[in-house]
Amino acid sequence: MGETWIQREFLTPRRLVFNVLFYGTHIFLFAYGWHSQATNPKLAGLNSLKFSVWISRGAGLVLAFDGGLILVPMLRNIIRVIRPKLTWLFPADENIWFHRQVAYSMAFWSMVHTTAHYVNFINVERTQIRKEYALQIHYTQPGGITGHFMLLIMVLMYSTAHQKIRKQCFEAFWYTHHLAFFFMLGLYTHATGCFVRDTAEPDYISTFPFYSTKHCLGYLSWRFTIWPGIIYFGERVWREIRARRATRLSKVLVHPSGAMELRIVKPSFKYTAGQWLFIQIPELSRFQWHPFTITSAPEDPYVSVHIRQVGDFTQALGSRLGVGPAVVAAMTSAAMKGAEKDSKTGMTRGDFVELDPAVTSITLPHVRIDGPYGAPAEDVFNSEVAILVGAGIGVTPFASILKHIWYRQKKGKLGSLRRVEFFWVCRDAPSFGWFQSLLQEVEAAQADPNFLRINVYLTQKIGEDMLWNIAVNDAGAEYDPLTLLRSRTMFGRPDWKSIFSTLRQSIESGQYLPGSTSQLKTKVATYFCGPGVIAKALKEACVENTNSSVEFSFAKEHF
Amino acid sequence: MGNLIWHEYSRFVSITANVYAVWAAFFGLFYRKFFWDFVGGTLRDPGGLQPSPNAAIFITLIVKIPIIQILSMMLGLFILAIELPLPAIKQFSIYRSLMVRVVLLLFQVFLAILFYQGTNAAIWSLIAAGCYGRAIMLGETMAEAKQNRGRKGEA
Repeated sequence: MGETWIQREFLTPRRLVFNVLFYGTHIFLFAYGWHSQATNPKLAGLNSLKFSVWISRGAGLVLAFDGGLILVPMLRNIIRVIRPKLTWLFPADENIWFHRQVAYSMAFWSMVHTTAHYVNFINVERTQIRKEYALQIHYTQPGGITGHFMLLIMVLMYSTAHQKIRKQCFEAFWYTHHLAFFFMLGLYTHATGCFVRDTAEPDYISTFPFYSTKHCLGYLSWRFTIWPGIIYFGERVWREIRARRATRLSKVLVHPSGAMELRIVKPSFKYTAGQWLFIQIPELSRFQWHPFTITSAPEDPYVSVHIRQVGDFTQALGSRLGVGPAVVAAMTSAAMKGAEKDSKTGMTRGDFVELDPAVTSITLPHVRIDGPYGAPAEDVFNSEVAILVGAGIGVTPFASILKHIWYRQKKGKLGSLRRVEFFWVCRDAPSFGWFQSLLQEVEAAQADPNFLRINVYLTQKIGEDMLWNIAVNDAGAEYDPLTLLRSRTMFGRPDWKSIFSTLRQSIESGQYLPGSTSQLKTKVATYFCGPGVIAKALKEACVENTNSSVEFSFAKEHF
Repeated sequence: MGNLIWHEYSRFVSITANVYAVWAAFFGLFYRKFFWDFVGGTLRDPGGLQPSPNAAIFITLIVKIPIIQILSMMLGLFILAIELPLPAIKQFSIYRSLMVRVVLLLFQVFLAILFYQGTNAAIWSLIAAGCYGRAIMLGETMAEAKQNRGRKGEA
């Protein structure tokens, strides 16, 4: 755990502000809904139900608010556009997190609302303020029907959205979550039954919205909450149109470690380094979109993604291309053998196999891509020093960023960026062979040895054989025996606090960035992608080492 | 595609349904009503719904004394103890039986459908039971608690 709930929720300023605003708004709306119901003389009849009707109306207003809010964080394209302008205001990259907070709140208030209505309806039946059964309200009137349907949809959506289910069967989550369409329809039509009224019978009219707003005194909240729904729907349509634009899979490179590099040509696709996209292969699945990080730089003539065969989709793709898991295993072991022979001469670990339809007889499947979507590492060039930390598979966005930096370096357009520190923390380097080869290219191309520093940390436990291998091969070799880079591999977990404080001291003393003393403040931007534990440690190190002359900032990327 | 482990999914539905059942039964103690009392019942104003004399037994068990609600609440708590699970229950092999869950959930369906507040709990319990049934059909089994828990470095 490390930190307590109180520390996390209340002692972190940003989170505190969020909590106060978010839950404050909810409580305010609840109180307002309660008050406006309880003091409305027109609703005296309903108010004879007392607390239960006040609670249900208050919770109803809160739910309308949440229903309007729930889709906002999912407006991916709009978020991508506004994110760069609003990073100071809210962490737009945390959109899924926000979506979840709204959902949790929605679940809670649904419970309040439903409970209150169960009491309302039984009291209507007992007191006969309206001449009907409780179950008639529940199961024959629009409010009751849509309400029960929305609850059922919520059970299905929430349960399949659990992290565990999402991981083992993304499809179950993905398809079930599209029930949201019916959920939203239910939400917008929930009040069409004119339950809140000052007349004995509902006052229906023949024109839209089919009830008279003179006597039906609901919140008419659908007038507001429908907009995010319409915009979201429009966005989905737009994504579909955009995905249909000419796209061609030009090449597939299979790297010895088993990663497939898909090179896709899509002229209409514009992106910046560090972003990600959704990919669809209609041959494998007509509806599924899978997210992958873009590994090519914007300057490249193609868009590439590196795909490891780990899940069923990626394995199916491998089989489709004739490089199923078995083939890859053979390739990997061959490459590992080759590595032992070649490492003394500084050669790479086996070569990739190119699947080019022009040369070989295989056909490549059609692909469709959708994106790009944002990631915080886009703004690398605004700071003097960039610290890029990739952990495990989280290293992928940095392939694009490093390539991009390299292109910009060649053109001499680095902005204020002076130095790049790249950290790669991983359990076993060989499984990321493709990334090694990329790092090798970038490292070899460095004219200024100080510009880019690559630090590889290997956290796996080392067996005796490997220890000897390292001891024998490492001494005096020009390249590191494990990664085949000039930079040495370090073992164990990095100690971020000492790394950051060393960095700060060398910046302060002027060794790190010669001539930087004239500047008022040196900006060091940290970008991280990987598991939360490291993120926390990095963030602490950033906060601890920020002072008047050096400013460390921190950004984390999500998948 | 996709490899959904049905009993792990069903667990979430079952937990939701039974939390609902406990909450519903709690309110059922205060607002007692037989769900099916409209069958043959008459609506009077004032007086509300007068259930048919044929339902007398249910009126006794639900309205006069909230037996059904109490049973449903206890069953709900018991299912939750198995599903979440309560640490003390983990050691028994019956905890890993999917069949036991199906049976308990079907009992819960039967109890929850009887009182006014329990309808959704009944429907969701039925879904959970169905998903467990699917898990049994697919031959899924629940793994025994990991023996190597707490022993590091052997993974």
